[in-house]
Amino acid sequence: MGEIFLKAFESLWQVLVAGIILGAGLPALFALGIKALGSGRTLAADGASYTTPTTGAGRAGSTVLFGVCAAAVLFGIVVIVFGSQLFGK
Amino acid sequence: MNDAEIGVRRWNSAAAPSIISDVTEALFILAIVVITALAFDFTNGFHDTANAMATSIATGALKPKQAVVLAATLNLAGAFLSIQVALTVSNKIISIQGSNGAPIPELMGVPILTIVFAGLVGGILWNLVTWLLGLPSSSSHALFGGLIGSAIAALGFGGVKWDGVVSSVIIPAVFSPVVAGLVAALGTFIVFKITARVATGPREKGFRWGQIGSASLVALAHGTNDAQKTMGVITLALIAYGSWTDVHSIPLWVKVSCALAIASGTYIGGWRVIRTLGKGLVEISSPQGMAAEFASAAVILSSSHLGMALSTTHVATGSILGSGVGRPGATVRWRVAGRMAIAWIITLPAAAVVGAVCWALAHAIGGAPGIGVVFVILVAAAGLMFRHSRKTKIDPNNVNDAWSGKLAPSASASETKIPVNV
Repeated sequence: MGEIFLKAFESLWQVLVAGIILGAGLPALFALGIKALGSGRTLAADGASYTTPTTGAGRAGSTVLFGVCAAAVLFGIVVIVFGSQLFGK
Repeated sequence: MNDAEIGVRRWNSAAAPSIISDVTEALFILAIVVITALAFDFTNGFHDTANAMATSIATGALKPKQAVVLAATLNLAGAFLSIQVALTVSNKIISIQGSNGAPIPELMGVPILTIVFAGLVGGILWNLVTWLLGLPSSSSHALFGGLIGSAIAALGFGGVKWDGVVSSVIIPAVFSPVVAGLVAALGTFIVFKITARVATGPREKGFRWGQIGSASLVALAHGTNDAQKTMGVITLALIAYGSWTDVHSIPLWVKVSCALAIASGTYIGGWRVIRTLGKGLVEISSPQGMAAEFASAAVILSSSHLGMALSTTHVATGSILGSGVGRPGATVRWRVAGRMAIAWIITLPAAAVVGAVCWALAHAIGGAPGIGVVFVILVAAAGLMFRHSRKTKIDPNNVNDAWSGKLAPSASASETKIPVNV
């Protein structure tokens, strides 16, 4: 019984680490992309919108960051389809 | 004639006199088992629509109908994408199969079909009860519970692999919501920190896209994992009956019918569960929704490749709860979370009791009549629960109404039968 728990916790620990890197890291990248879209722009008085258009640098930065997130989702699909072949079981 | 056919015949010969009625009886039982397995797959679909789509529906990232169409399509695709053979699903928890997944010779034929059938009935009925109450509970646990109950009834406590139950059911159930919740809470906290000074309009809108992408991944993974379980169960039944012998592949018609069953269930949309997860548990905004879905996707995908298949429901619920905890000042309804936790704890034993009773009933009557009677009871109970659900109807039109402490929106509060106290 003790061995079972040990083995399970070992897996859970790995899931937690992978989860934090991907599951919290990707939202952080996405958030940086949203932030980049607003960089160098003037906020409206109510804070709900911008009064100036997106800057070139902001657009470029957000494209890269969103691209990383999209690539991660595509990688997720690869994992779903070919996971057992890529990683063994 | 292969071993399987001999097994069927040997078992039946005591009950039925002629060879022709043996064959028809076993075929009838097989047909009922297949129909019941597909029905389970269907309930699995609508019970779990919420796991992927509740947050997108709640934040308005997707209209309710769009969300279920997307989820159904991805579940369908996911079911076809699965290339593993999931005969091992039942083999981890009960002793009716050998190490290669094929049924134990002594149980070939009607005995194994009866055990599987009673287990499925337990799973379906528990799924319907929790759906009626609007509680997200694990469909896998319901199925495992049903199978454990029928195996105990048929084979005694030795029929259950308790080590497997602890390692692949109980430990993951206790810790997966915690792990997912931690990840989602951290993600939510970071996201709000980063975007604190971003204009709120573009922020809400921008995150909706991230939400849809990550939710789609969860739906696809769900189709792959969960449709596979039913495929495994039906294939096991076919092997037990003797019409399929390959433990390494699944007949195409099984794949197609399971994919269609889970996808159509998903399309029907378990609106009651969606409402509890999307509106009841946490008041959710699109950054929280995105963090929750990314957390779910990351935890589900990483765990399934460590050989620890976590319940999508437990992970998704933990993530949504975490997204509420991670946002300072967010509303988290712990009473609702508490009700869910209780439902999770009793899912396995409750489904086990139903599974055991169904097995005992089917066995006492015996053969095809026994299976038939239990099937009729299943249909009647499902019909009653569906009728009851109409009294507090939740559909795409009211799924997003403000949470007033109950599953049923306040407009129809006078008819409310299911209080969820806040």
